[in-house]
Amino acid sequence: MANAEIVGRMPEQTADRKPAKASQRSISAPWFAQGKILFLQLLLIGGFLLLWEVAIRAEWIKVYLYGQPTGIWRELVKGLTSGTLLRDTWVTGKESILGFLIGSIAGSAAGLLLWLSPTAAAVLRPLLIALNGLPKIALAPLIVVWFGVGIESKIAVAAIITFIVAMITSYAGTQEIDGDYLKMLKALGASRLQMFRMVIVPGSLPWIASAFRLNIGFAMIGAVVGEYISADQGLGYQIYYAGTLYNLNAVWGGILALMLLAVLLDSAVGWVERRMKWR
Amino acid sequence: MSDADIVLNAERVGMTFEAANAPPVTAIADIGFQVHRGEVVAIVGPSGCGKTTLFNIIAGLLEPTGGRVEVNGEPVHSATGHVGYMLQKDLLLPWRTVIDNVIIGLQVRNTPRKQAEAIAHELIESYGLKGFEHSYPSELSGGMRQRVAFMRTLAFSPDVILLDEPFSALDSQTRLVLQSDVLRIIRERQCSVVLVTHDVGEAITMADRIVVITSRPGRVKSIHPVNIAPEQRHPLKIRKLPEFTALYETIWSELGIDLAA
Repeated sequence: MANAEIVGRMPEQTADRKPAKASQRSISAPWFAQGKILFLQLLLIGGFLLLWEVAIRAEWIKVYLYGQPTGIWRELVKGLTSGTLLRDTWVTGKESILGFLIGSIAGSAAGLLLWLSPTAAAVLRPLLIALNGLPKIALAPLIVVWFGVGIESKIAVAAIITFIVAMITSYAGTQEIDGDYLKMLKALGASRLQMFRMVIVPGSLPWIASAFRLNIGFAMIGAVVGEYISADQGLGYQIYYAGTLYNLNAVWGGILALMLLAVLLDSAVGWVERRMKWR
Repeated sequence: MSDADIVLNAERVGMTFEAANAPPVTAIADIGFQVHRGEVVAIVGPSGCGKTTLFNIIAGLLEPTGGRVEVNGEPVHSATGHVGYMLQKDLLLPWRTVIDNVIIGLQVRNTPRKQAEAIAHELIESYGLKGFEHSYPSELSGGMRQRVAFMRTLAFSPDVILLDEPFSALDSQTRLVLQSDVLRIIRERQCSVVLVTHDVGEAITMADRIVVITSRPGRVKSIHPVNIAPEQRHPLKIRKLPEFTALYETIWSELGIDLAA
């Protein structure tokens, strides 16, 4: 199974158990050392924003090409007071979450079920390899044509992309399971369905968990690109629309809101993942 | 012993693997031996004598190209759980606790969970893993894991227990302890056992009879009864018996391994 994309990401996914220990060590580091890092981080961001603002005011660079920190702040305050920013964040969040859940759950189930039918897996193999290599976002215009300009088409873009990733990853997971477990169960007289239930499904869970973690990012990409193509609401639409008007401050405001949404969703998935993991 | 006592009967079992672009390979040829109820038979042979092939045939995982295998008079055609299996690898499922690993064979047979757990509790308590029922395999030592694997094999009371180099991955101290424990349990429960091993000393310590197999293709070279009383079969003390030394040297020479070289 060619899984260059997925397999390439696996080590960093599995590796994040170790950094958890590393961060425990940094918690026990002296408080002033931590304070120093935080101070330097704030200094870096603050210095950058200050330099940016000065460069605009001194007219070294053009505001309509780069935006302006104080202008971004004004856009954010305006968006928050009028409620449009929250509304658009909610729309994009809803599209991402629904697409993520539909695609990841259905895709994982499909990948696992492929194990039950080696014939189906063999028939679908070239398609899976092709889809794995494809930048899946290239499918977005098609999906928008099929599902219309409403929220459904963005959910569909997110769902289809995450479906492909989850299916390929969970199928790869079933292929990684030590064949001796299956042999042992077979010698005990187990049916294929019993092997599926007792070994394949639980043994693939770490792979499925890592597919879910990857997919929350893919779902957001799907939703935002769907909005770029055709929409009348959502953060992607606002960013795209502001870009066509050269309102770079609004573009930055939308990007900041997207970042915040991404951090929220990613930590929610991470929280669930940690609770589901077997030792 | 009478023929009625025969639990496992292997008759002229042969296996030739056909390959597409190579001459066929005969892994084993005309292997025949019997295991009586409550008897331990060791199979000793150099590497490449087709032990794994023979194992898979007895377990019903592989259909032989010649001869037949019968368990309790019934020919073996497929894996039906008549045989319990224990390998060098413990193959404990890492996401299952000790007790859930022990009951897996019973679950495959759809034994009610309460009943399965009662059987497992009894085994876990009698064989020294009380208190670890709800531990995960990753929390146990290699010796403890192999003990759990053995209990998993005992739990569903198979007609024959196949042990394939079960102790070879353990350090030598753990190996001796486990050897004598497994031997005691096998005797207590009157299990019929086939033990495959490289270790001639282990074979003499544990078995009632030893089948020596030649390499490529595997054939039965000789069968030796081990006439040592159960109470003398302590893994360390047994090595001082003259019977042990004599049999040890005979089998070594039959295996064709020249120590002087």
